[in-house]
Amino acid sequence: MTAPRRLRKELSDLQENTLKAFRDIKADDDNLLRWTGLIVPDNPPYNKGAFRIEINFPAEYPFKPPKINFKTRIYHPNIDEKGQVCLPIISTENWKPATRTDQVVQALVDLINDPEPEHPLRAELAEEFLKDRKKFVKNAEDYTKKHSEKRPAD
Amino acid sequence: MSGGGGQEEQHLPSVSSASGSAAGTAGGRATPEMKRSAVRSLIQRYFYQLQSGCGNAHCTNANCASSGKVAPMTPNEVAARALQLFSQDAQLCEVSTSAASSPQDVDMLSPNDSSSSSSGSSTSTITSASTTTTTSRQSQSTPAAVVVAVSSLDPVQSVPHLDLGAVEPSSGDSEPCTPTLPTVQSLDANSLMALYEQCVTARCYDRICHAIGDVFSSVDRLSKSFIRSAEPAASSSLQELLANPPEALNKEQLRTLEGEHDKDEDSTQQVEEQAETEEVAASASAGAEVETEAEPEEEDEDVPMAQPTEAKAEEDPSESSDTQVDLPGLRRVQRLFFGSRTRAINDSLISSVIQLAEWVQYMRPDWEKVIHCLVICFDLATNTDNTVVDMDYLDRVLPKLCQAAAAMPVQAQARLTRIWAAHCSDQLQALVAAFQQQITVQVLQDEESMRENGSIISATKVLKIVFYANILASELERPSCRVPLEDRTEAAATSASGSATVEDDLFDYSSVLHPHMPKFAEDQLEKALKVSAIDCRKPLVPLEEFYNEALSENIQMHHDYLSYKALESEKGSGHTNYFSFMLYGFILTPATKVDALYYDSRMRMYSERYTSLYSILNNFGQEGPDGTPRPDLKLTVRRDQLINDALIGLEMVAISNPKDLKKQLVVEFVGEQGIDEGGVSKEFFQLIVEEIFNPAFGMFIQQEETNNMWFNATPFENGAQFTLIGIIIGLAIYNNVILAVNFPMVVYRKLMGYCGTFADLNDWSPTLYKSLKSMLDYQGQDMEEVFDQTFKISYSNVFGEMVEHELVPNGKEVLVGQHNKLLFVNLYSDFLLNTNIQQQFNAFRKGFEMVTDESPLKLLFRPEEIEMLVCGSREFDFVELELSTEYEGGYTDETQIIQDFWSIVHAMPNESKRKLLEFTTGSARVPVGGLKCLRLLITRHGPDSDRLPTSHTCFNVLLLPEYSNREKLEERLMKAINYSKGFGML
Repeated sequence: MTAPRRLRKELSDLQENTLKAFRDIKADDDNLLRWTGLIVPDNPPYNKGAFRIEINFPAEYPFKPPKINFKTRIYHPNIDEKGQVCLPIISTENWKPATRTDQVVQALVDLINDPEPEHPLRAELAEEFLKDRKKFVKNAEDYTKKHSEKRPAD
Repeated sequence: MSGGGGQEEQHLPSVSSASGSAAGTAGGRATPEMKRSAVRSLIQRYFYQLQSGCGNAHCTNANCASSGKVAPMTPNEVAARALQLFSQDAQLCEVSTSAASSPQDVDMLSPNDSSSSSSGSSTSTITSASTTTTTSRQSQSTPAAVVVAVSSLDPVQSVPHLDLGAVEPSSGDSEPCTPTLPTVQSLDANSLMALYEQCVTARCYDRICHAIGDVFSSVDRLSKSFIRSAEPAASSSLQELLANPPEALNKEQLRTLEGEHDKDEDSTQQVEEQAETEEVAASASAGAEVETEAEPEEEDEDVPMAQPTEAKAEEDPSESSDTQVDLPGLRRVQRLFFGSRTRAINDSLISSVIQLAEWVQYMRPDWEKVIHCLVICFDLATNTDNTVVDMDYLDRVLPKLCQAAAAMPVQAQARLTRIWAAHCSDQLQALVAAFQQQITVQVLQDEESMRENGSIISATKVLKIVFYANILASELERPSCRVPLEDRTEAAATSASGSATVEDDLFDYSSVLHPHMPKFAEDQLEKALKVSAIDCRKPLVPLEEFYNEALSENIQMHHDYLSYKALESEKGSGHTNYFSFMLYGFILTPATKVDALYYDSRMRMYSERYTSLYSILNNFGQEGPDGTPRPDLKLTVRRDQLINDALIGLEMVAISNPKDLKKQLVVEFVGEQGIDEGGVSKEFFQLIVEEIFNPAFGMFIQQEETNNMWFNATPFENGAQFTLIGIIIGLAIYNNVILAVNFPMVVYRKLMGYCGTFADLNDWSPTLYKSLKSMLDYQGQDMEEVFDQTFKISYSNVFGEMVEHELVPNGKEVLVGQHNKLLFVNLYSDFLLNTNIQQQFNAFRKGFEMVTDESPLKLLFRPEEIEMLVCGSREFDFVELELSTEYEGGYTDETQIIQDFWSIVHAMPNESKRKLLEFTTGSARVPVGGLKCLRLLITRHGPDSDRLPTSHTCFNVLLLPEYSNREKLEERLMKAINYSKGFGML
């Protein structure tokens, strides 16, 4: 199975030195360009569950940025119902080939923990987040309990 | 020298651009420009008459300074008064001085012009009055006119003795009119300025005029002047520094102070660019080495030949960009000359330089000396900040200088190009502007015979020198896109894998290495400089500024084309009397060049037609369906089998007789009545392009990021199909049809015979370009670790599968680091843009060449212009269309239905406008030159009826019945444009 050399290295690095907030990292058996992993946020209301994401690397990686998709549904102003996320670090305007996947994941975890309602993908959630934080937290918690995966034990 | 106060009045005389000569011709057929310049020169005459007088001591005109009746005024007041006099049509004195081709000469006080000494008093008065420039000494001199008048009658006494090294007594060949003064053998900036100070103190400018007259009129003496010196400059500059207010000290002077004499070339450019320029200029020999090998023309030469050529190149003086001219000093002098507005000095300078230029032109002396002089004289014509330019100098001297420079041999011109590029890059813009103005003024004065006008021709030739200097001074792309990659990376440690493969050739056509460049039209200067516009992505002065609108509009391309053909038949046999602007394509606007191409295509079509008539007798050529050779290229296609029919039809022609592709294309759709006078083939191209570029067809893929079309690297079709598509693109250009294709620019560059390089990625895939750029910019030594990138790259093919490729043998083992990152980027770009699609592209280009190989396409157009030629420009300006539309059959622009028509059209969304355009012209693209070039014609098509509007797309005619009301017009019009495909009676 072929993949850009760096990608393979990044995968094994991440699998060896696991990030606390990003676990269970696997590449597809037949496609090393597609990874999955589990985001384990620290902050409420998302600290009650874990979220499966998929990272798709282009064949030209690292000269073109990866794309990230949430497989687990999440109640978050910056992630839309299809699981798409808008992360500046991997936008085509900002992408730098020296950026490594652990940095991308860290940026994603930070965004999950601290939503950015100024640049929302779901405007109604952003408004709720700003105007009625209590209600937002309540909804997000319920949603997390209902849809998210189990957090890994340790 | 010129401080704040001086700025104002300097603008005043600058109205003189067209000067006296314009007035003479402004009589009868006057364009607005000419009227304006005539008025301008009249006002100028009043101005100078008020200021300086007519020179007649017995003058009685109350508005002439010579009569003594004019009250002292500031220059602004003089200007106001001049305007007033002009509006009153007041009396103008006859100019009494000799050689008074222009009225400014009245106050001439040059040593060559003894008759003017009587007017000396008034001259001095006025001069010093206008010289309210900053220095206190000058302003002190104002009231002392009488003293000056006396002293000017006795120059020897009045000039205080000064021990100036430069002013040496000579052994007797002194100027006839001032026998008392010794000939000045040379000047430099400091001595000249010191002399000027003296003259100001003495209030007599005879001595400086004399010095200028001596030096500037002689190539020998001027070539010994303004020599840059190593050490003394520092001390004098220090004085300069002390004497000048801080802001007057420019960077050049600072650098001179620091002793960095080689770096004074440019004060405005950014540091990196400057470094680049220097590298190119200073190491001309190093660059030449690479380029010598690279030069396509020399590829045929044996390898051993390359060595002596290089060795010679280093010695060849024309390869050098070095100049001895003390440009910083010269610019101080220039400010002094033109800033002070001492007419006497200027006039002395002007007449001397004219003398010099004429001498150069006829005597053809030592060119190295001439170049020194020309650098000085052209430099005086321009100025970095554009405020201190003497218009008089421009008007009178520049044409002469141009003639002198244009008369120089190519090597000398190349030398001048290099000097300008290396040392005057900040002046190039001003030089371009000066020559453009020169050319424009001449064109407007001489519309009829502008093609034979010597001033225009020589200015165009010199503009070419500026054009190349501009390229040389800009950041050049290295490695050059003109060089095959194997050569480019030869110097690098790793050798690129050989990529050229011999492909089996279905068509009987040998590909030319460099297309569309007739041998006779090769530019000798370009050859000598080993640089062309293609080498430079961001020219210092945008190349659009080299277009001359006036010239392009008035050129009457068919005449110029005849000169071009005459040149072609002479095949560059040395000296020729013909001149064609087609060899100076940079000055022509794209729209004009399209005309040239059009005439060329038509000529070829007619000649092919006659050839085929002859071939009937010999039974050669293409057999038509009824057994006779056709005078045209006929394609009969079925609408539902468009691509197959077209490709098979073209393939037959391409295999049996490729020359037939150059006949006029005539398309016939089976079962339709349309007669192809251009419109049917336009629609044919439109439809076929739609199908060919449909991704489902599999030959081209659409790039996600840019929506550009790119060659499918793993196509289902063979190379022959790409050749046929190349033929179609070529036919579209040849038959003057605009296509809706969306290629990245690199395709057009490649069609012109160049390679795709890293810079082309920017428009091919911006993300990839940015990433690779940031890799190049990465300075850390830990690159191998951070990027962990090998010389193996991967990409996804048309099926979305990942494909890997090693850029060098065993590339997966070679890591990219600081030492080889550039090589990596170049190889990566080369792979994507060249190697990976080489087979497809070569086939495509071959087809293109089969149609266009003899046309002057490459001679005239840059790749960006070719794109415009193929695709048209992209905006719709329907106001422009309305203004250029003509009417027939009873309509005028005031007819109600026409007014309704335009108000409906202007309110249309862009998509409907596009459809309307397609309906009336057969193409949704805007032609080169804008919608006004369509020359839309709206014809009344009978009274109110239920018929739909119709069109003749070949002539851009819209047939519009006079509908009874606006609502009906709108309804019928929309229906027509929405069901517009197919030819037939609607």
